[in-house]
Amino acid sequence: MGLAKLVVRVLAVVGKEIVEVFRRPGAVLSLILGPFLILAAFGFGYQGIKKDLATIVVIQPSSELPQEAQTYRDMAVRGLQIIDVVPDRAQAEARLRAGEADIVIVAPVDPLASIEVGEQAEVTVITNVTDPVEANYAGFLAETLASVVNREIYRAGAEEGQAYAITIGGRDLSDVPPDVIASPTKPVLLNLAPVQPTIVGFYGPAALALVLQHMAVTLIALSIVRERSSGALDRFRSSPMRATEVVMGKVIAFGLLGGAIAAISLWLLVALLGVPMLGAVALIALVVGLLLVASLGLGLLISVVSDSERQAVQLSLLTLLASMFFSGFVLRISEFQPAVQVAAYALPVTHGISLLQDLMLGGSLTQTWQLLALAGIAGFLLLVSWFLLRRELRPE
Amino acid sequence: MAGVTRRFNGNVAVKDMDLEIPTGSVVGVIGPSGSGKTTTIRMITGSLAPTEGQVEVLGEKPSAFHRRTRERIGYMPQLFSLYPDLTVGENVDFAASLFGLILFRRWRRKRAVLELVDLWSVRKRRAGQLSGGMKRRLELAATLVHQPDLLILDEPTAGIDPLLRRTVWDEIHRLRESGVTSIVTTQYVTEAEECNLVALISGGRLIAWGTPDEVRRSAVGGEVVEVTMENMFDAAVLTDSAGVLGVRQTGPRAFHLVVDNAGTATPDAIAAIEAAGGKVASAREIRPTFEEVFTALVERDRTQPEAAQAAQAEAGGEKTEAA
Repeated sequence: MGLAKLVVRVLAVVGKEIVEVFRRPGAVLSLILGPFLILAAFGFGYQGIKKDLATIVVIQPSSELPQEAQTYRDMAVRGLQIIDVVPDRAQAEARLRAGEADIVIVAPVDPLASIEVGEQAEVTVITNVTDPVEANYAGFLAETLASVVNREIYRAGAEEGQAYAITIGGRDLSDVPPDVIASPTKPVLLNLAPVQPTIVGFYGPAALALVLQHMAVTLIALSIVRERSSGALDRFRSSPMRATEVVMGKVIAFGLLGGAIAAISLWLLVALLGVPMLGAVALIALVVGLLLVASLGLGLLISVVSDSERQAVQLSLLTLLASMFFSGFVLRISEFQPAVQVAAYALPVTHGISLLQDLMLGGSLTQTWQLLALAGIAGFLLLVSWFLLRRELRPE
Repeated sequence: MAGVTRRFNGNVAVKDMDLEIPTGSVVGVIGPSGSGKTTTIRMITGSLAPTEGQVEVLGEKPSAFHRRTRERIGYMPQLFSLYPDLTVGENVDFAASLFGLILFRRWRRKRAVLELVDLWSVRKRRAGQLSGGMKRRLELAATLVHQPDLLILDEPTAGIDPLLRRTVWDEIHRLRESGVTSIVTTQYVTEAEECNLVALISGGRLIAWGTPDEVRRSAVGGEVVEVTMENMFDAAVLTDSAGVLGVRQTGPRAFHLVVDNAGTATPDAIAAIEAAGGKVASAREIRPTFEEVFTALVERDRTQPEAAQAAQAEAGGEKTEAA
């Protein structure tokens, strides 16, 4: 009889939560379509390549380097679009500040003279950006540019028949084309990944994991906070309802909802956006299930420590923000300090992203420990929140 | 409740409360807003633990209620605590499920309580679309659905029209006949008349406790006889008459006598008046309204706390004997 009543109570909570969510059709629609539309807009809107930077080259009048812009355009440095060659650095910097150019390259006055005395000639790259990613990109372009210039110097030297005694295995290479002497090696990139997804394909599983965590956290946190503010928890407190039944009912209800939304979103991602799904459906379902339960545990924890709906919303958004930065969604986790990495791995979504990308894009699990970690996080969060809720449902 | 005090951050919400509620009675916990009624109720339901003193309900401490004991209690909170996105029927169904009612019984009880509070016809309407009065009725239905032995209603008649208020009280009386004990808080002091026992609370203190008549008597010091005269008469001459506890002149030809027993004291008083030269036009026992009673008790508690405590102790002693 006791078990039957427990089932009745748990099912009551399950039914109540599901009906409440479906009574807000707008919310349901946004839950399902929202993530898909965002990904679709991202996929169609993001070009995946950076536009070439408008570049002004400064060649001082005393330099022996060519003064024509076309000469530098012909060098075809990746990422740079030469718009002008000017003799005055100050003028070029003024145009950079005015936004006419993205980058200014100041060529050395006499690079060969520097080389002859055993010094490297400096190619100065000037930018005007505050974005650290853009600044890093400019640095990368400066390195690329230096390589191109170096190669050009080799090539020119070889072409003029200067005495480069290059012999390999005693064989004379004087008839080797200057381009090959200047660039004896060229990169050939091979990718062993089973698929080379598009940007949407790559971010699809990660976005799904992020959306599922945020949805689960928000739904369950707001559900409990609202019940506290409306007095429903007071009603529970004076009824035979126990914290275990509340937690079970809510986790089942929002788990089912989240599972349905995940299934529909996955179908939309695969069928309409072409996101690969190489892994076994059962394993993907397991990862989604664990991610949802762990996220619901996190939401429960937020709900029991929040004293108002406003605070619960704030904490949910902070969790989302932390997930964006630390989960590996945008930046690689290995790029963080070890202490921050620990915090990153405490987030359910970190494992969710890694596991879903592994399964969907790679076809199998390479980090099985993350499956166990996700289960551990789920168990720990549910236990702590159940304990706190149980304490809350006791007399004040 | 024995010697119960509850403090919130050092502020006393309920102070030194003693109450013993007999089974099958309707107890009105009456007092102005902020007087400590809801705190008292929440200590009875087990939502709040007393800072000092002992509370025992249905033979158990509320903080350690067994599930079976909780299933015997129906609690209706002061504010609407049901779910606005669920329909009337779904809300009652959910409330029934909290108490473990299995499907068929749940459906039967749902219909019974919704018909009782006249909401069966709107059972498919969402609770958020109901008027304030309908919401109180829905709360009442959700509280009654599992047929509790002890009903704790926090202001069930607040914000509903007089006709419905009558219905609510009729239902409470009907439940009493089937053995249900009801503890009802209200701001409407006139509703004290509906109760078997009344606890008047002011400033967190119990200022009167007993049957409505006992509380009334405690407030005015006895029974009141209103006397009107054909001629002008100074009632002060009756002060020392046998059976007369007090005199209050209300006009040149009218006065109130406070007597121990109106039935026996009135003929003696009339004889004394006529002996003093007065001609009585009429003499009848009057019952002061509970608003007057409450005002008098609060006033006395404020100005003469020792007298109030003595009167309360006397009334409490009578009640305990009755219980």
